Amino acid sequence: MKKLKNHVDELFKGVPDSEQKKAIKQEVLENLEEKVLDLIDQGKEEEDAINKAIVDFGDIDDIKKELGVKQPVKKNMSKLNLGFSIWGSILIIALFIFINFAYTPKTIWFVYPTFAVLWWPLAMYFNWQRSK
Amino acid sequence: MIRSDLIRGHLDSIILRLIFEQDRYGYEISKEISLRTDNRFQIKEATLYAVFQRLEKKELIESYMGSVSQGGKRKYYRITTLGKAYLREMIEEWKETKEVIDLFMEGLQ
Repeated sequence: MKKLKNHVDELFKGVPDSEQKKAIKQEVLENLEEKVLDLIDQGKEEEDAINKAIVDFGDIDDIKKELGVKQPVKKNMSKLNLGFSIWGSILIIALFIFINFAYTPKTIWFVYPTFAVLWWPLAMYFNWQRSK
Repeated sequence: MIRSDLIRGHLDSIILRLIFEQDRYGYEISKEISLRTDNRFQIKEATLYAVFQRLEKKELIESYMGSVSQGGKRKYYRITTLGKAYLREMIEEWKETKEVIDLFMEGLQ
């Protein structure tokens, strides 16, 4: 029967501790033990009976859901990413404009890197659109 | 053995019905289901406890600890008034569903 208890412990490992969890575990274990005794009565070896009870028990995911174990929700970062990309590109472009006019005011070249940099917020914008 | 996903949506009703007849505890219910269906449907215990949780949260059933004379301190479930009303509704709904599905499932070889 120790094996049964270990199995139940293992099943509920991912569930955060609470009174409710303790109660369910207790209930599950008692009912499983009764099933094992029943199976032994029907002529099974204890080892077989325990294995059958464990297999019949099935997957615990439903219980977890009812106990409110939330699947980790991925936070949506795309809006933040978009904001960062806009601020970042403004700073970079401002830097280009400053260098351009401070050192080589006769040739206007800042437009070229500006175009390149703008890909960044553009990509983030569509990423944000997609996640909406 | 019947595919369990077809039955899944009706598990609440099945279990409510069994508790409606008399107060029962977990293993008893799973045994009863296997017995009545002649082993054509066996409920996974894990599913059973999930249903208990759900029904209890919806206040359709309530639990209490059985006395030792009933054999150990088992957790029994009894149906509430709300549960009885819900079960009746489910039965009505099922009758109608059955008729609709039968329109398409019956009569073909």
